[in-house]
Amino acid sequence: MASHFSGVLQLTDLDDFITPSQECVKPVKVNKKQGRSVAKIQIEDDGTYFQVNEDGQMQKLEKAKITLNDCLACSGCITSAESILITQQSHEELYRVLRLNKQSSSSEQKLVVVSVSPQSRASLAARYSLSSSEVARRLTNFFKNLGVHYVFDTGFSRTFSLLESQREFLKRFARKEEDKKALPMLASACPGWICYAEKTHGDFILPYISTTRSPQQIMGSLVKSFFGSHQGVEPQKIYHVTVMPCYDKKLEASRPDFYLSEAETREVDCVITSGEVIKMLEEEGVSLSDIEPAPLDTMFSNVGGEELLCHAGSGSGGYLHHVYTRAAKQLFGVEVEELTYKTLKNKDFQEVILEKDGEVLLRFAATYGFRNIQNLVQKLKRGKSPYHFVEVMACPSGCLNGGGQLKPEADQSNKELLQQVEAAYRAEQPSVPEEDQRVAELYHTWLNSTGEEKARELLHTQYHAVEKSTTGLAIKW
Amino acid sequence: MKAMLQLVHRLSAHPDSRCWYVSWSPTGALLASCGGDRSIRIWGKEGDTWQCKSVLSDGHQRTVRKVSWSPCGNYLASASFDATTCIWKKKDDEFQCLTVLEGHENEVKCVAWAPSGNLLATCSRDKSVWIWEVDEEDEYECVSVVNSHTQDVKHVVWHPAQELLASASYDNKVCIYKEEDDDWECRATLEGHTSTVWSLSFDPEGQRLASCSDDRTVKIWKDCGTGDESVDGSWKCICTLSGFHSRTVYDVAWCRLTGALATACGDDGVRVFKEEAASDPEQPVFYISAHMPKAHSQDVNCVAWNPKEAGLLATCSDNGEIAIWNYHSDA
Repeated sequence: MASHFSGVLQLTDLDDFITPSQECVKPVKVNKKQGRSVAKIQIEDDGTYFQVNEDGQMQKLEKAKITLNDCLACSGCITSAESILITQQSHEELYRVLRLNKQSSSSEQKLVVVSVSPQSRASLAARYSLSSSEVARRLTNFFKNLGVHYVFDTGFSRTFSLLESQREFLKRFARKEEDKKALPMLASACPGWICYAEKTHGDFILPYISTTRSPQQIMGSLVKSFFGSHQGVEPQKIYHVTVMPCYDKKLEASRPDFYLSEAETREVDCVITSGEVIKMLEEEGVSLSDIEPAPLDTMFSNVGGEELLCHAGSGSGGYLHHVYTRAAKQLFGVEVEELTYKTLKNKDFQEVILEKDGEVLLRFAATYGFRNIQNLVQKLKRGKSPYHFVEVMACPSGCLNGGGQLKPEADQSNKELLQQVEAAYRAEQPSVPEEDQRVAELYHTWLNSTGEEKARELLHTQYHAVEKSTTGLAIKW
Repeated sequence: MKAMLQLVHRLSAHPDSRCWYVSWSPTGALLASCGGDRSIRIWGKEGDTWQCKSVLSDGHQRTVRKVSWSPCGNYLASASFDATTCIWKKKDDEFQCLTVLEGHENEVKCVAWAPSGNLLATCSRDKSVWIWEVDEEDEYECVSVVNSHTQDVKHVVWHPAQELLASASYDNKVCIYKEEDDDWECRATLEGHTSTVWSLSFDPEGQRLASCSDDRTVKIWKDCGTGDESVDGSWKCICTLSGFHSRTVYDVAWCRLTGALATACGDDGVRVFKEEAASDPEQPVFYISAHMPKAHSQDVNCVAWNPKEAGLLATCSDNGEIAIWNYHSDA
């Protein structure tokens, strides 16, 4: 990858990820004091800047800071710069909160909740040759020893995300004649894709994108809205951390749409990657192999008995699989036992078709990586997209190969590692979203009681086109 | 007999603007030019003079930086600072904009057609190189986006016979790409220039690659590979032409017919180099065969050898002109 991501973040070196663009166009505002004409700027050994006035007075200069929100509102980059991410969202920040908790009186303490994604579990499972559920049990112990109160599984919130996607698809399908932008419905779980769509294709592409929240952000609703009131804890008193396969999830958590303005808190306070979990283990001087397993917090976990479950279909959440099988059943009465994926241009562009008497009833696609996203967007622009639904992911090979996943070890190829991660992911038994009793119960109690509008807010979101700013940047021939 | 460059014709091709690039059609009958006036012009010989046959002016919103003919001669691709690449289809003497390739974030700097005609490469200030595939229905799909450069990518060129691509950049490097599994990847990075690499040209056999740079040199690189596809990075610099150019070398072109190497320079001059017949192929020696000091009144941007008529050379300049020269070899 051409951009030099810092070693701290260790973004992957694969070529196809969406990279930051050349210029950051966000103007940085620095408060200048009037009236001083001549001054020198001196750089100290530690890298701090001092302004030296004519009379020799020294004054420390402020550093210009760019926040994640600046990044989201700017058209300069597709994703954000790494140095910005680490100031607000890193394992260091989690450590800081945990330390603060130990020093504070009980009324000042925060309730710390960690929600781990199934893809991160699989990445760690491959590294330590453990089962994915075993990783979850050991991580539960590890985090709790550090002072974390609850460890959940975003597979649980993904069940909501899948059910909402399916409902949204059926509604869109029903109005496809009168609403030209009802279909194809484009999956919304990948924040890299959302960021790219908002910044480069804005108003054209956004109506196609599913409004359903990603598993991370539904977990945000669950933890800060439901769990908080259930436990009698205000949202701002909960510190919610997610463990994700992807850096762009940090950007997603920072979106203003996921900020509870009344409580002045984010639904997800901090996102750390699978790679950062390894960093934490290293800093504690322990290996996951040596940590004792602890019982899972089953309140918000996708479990069957003692083991965690996954969802059928792709390692990116199985959106295509779920929406396709339900749509086939409900729209055409077809019971689909197994999906046949047809590889098109490359392995990251696959198609699934439902046919009856030679007529195509449903045409779904899974489109991963920047090049394939390009072709999809161009097809849409030319009115030549034949699809009803597309599972779009920014990373080649999808979330299991996310930029935040563990890197291959010295003697390992990226391909081998990915196969192991996939095997660990697939080893979990798939659950059936409709059969999850606790999810059904939450729909019944929590979401019904909040009213339709609020329930929609808790499970859906919205997108905002970013205006292209035309700065007079110097042209290079 | 001393070799020389003889002026055949001088055309005010893009008046009040820069003429950025010229490209001969595969039969050598037509010459396409493009410039800062956002237009593409097609020139053909009529009698003793060169006439403008068509003006393609409705395709781009900003400067047209490069043009490239498809190997069949029926299509023309144009790269523009408006971030798009246009594909034009030739029908009789008319050109029609067939499709507009979008995707680059900003200025597209170059476009090149692969020898098969099925692949197209583009590069941009956004630092990326894109490879596009064309199907039978004239539909273009992006097959790869490669981010191997750290700066503006200035030029892309295909190997004359293989599906091998080279790119030149503001990061002073040249990258060589090949397809691997179902994606393209950078297989070799050629380092040696100390400033922007502006252009590239393969020799007629495709064994050597010439690069020209803002560091005022031309370098000749050779694929020293054993033919084993798995070995990478086997390109070595076997010759550096330094001391000949007093300013940036903007373009380099290797004649497929004569093996002569022409350069376009920021000192307004056009030079033709020849290889010493007796020199070691591993350490070739080039000498300057012809030099036209004030070939144009401003920077020379491009040199292009006619593919069919040996010695016919087109050049273009910042003053908007095209000049057509006859190079008489001394050997």
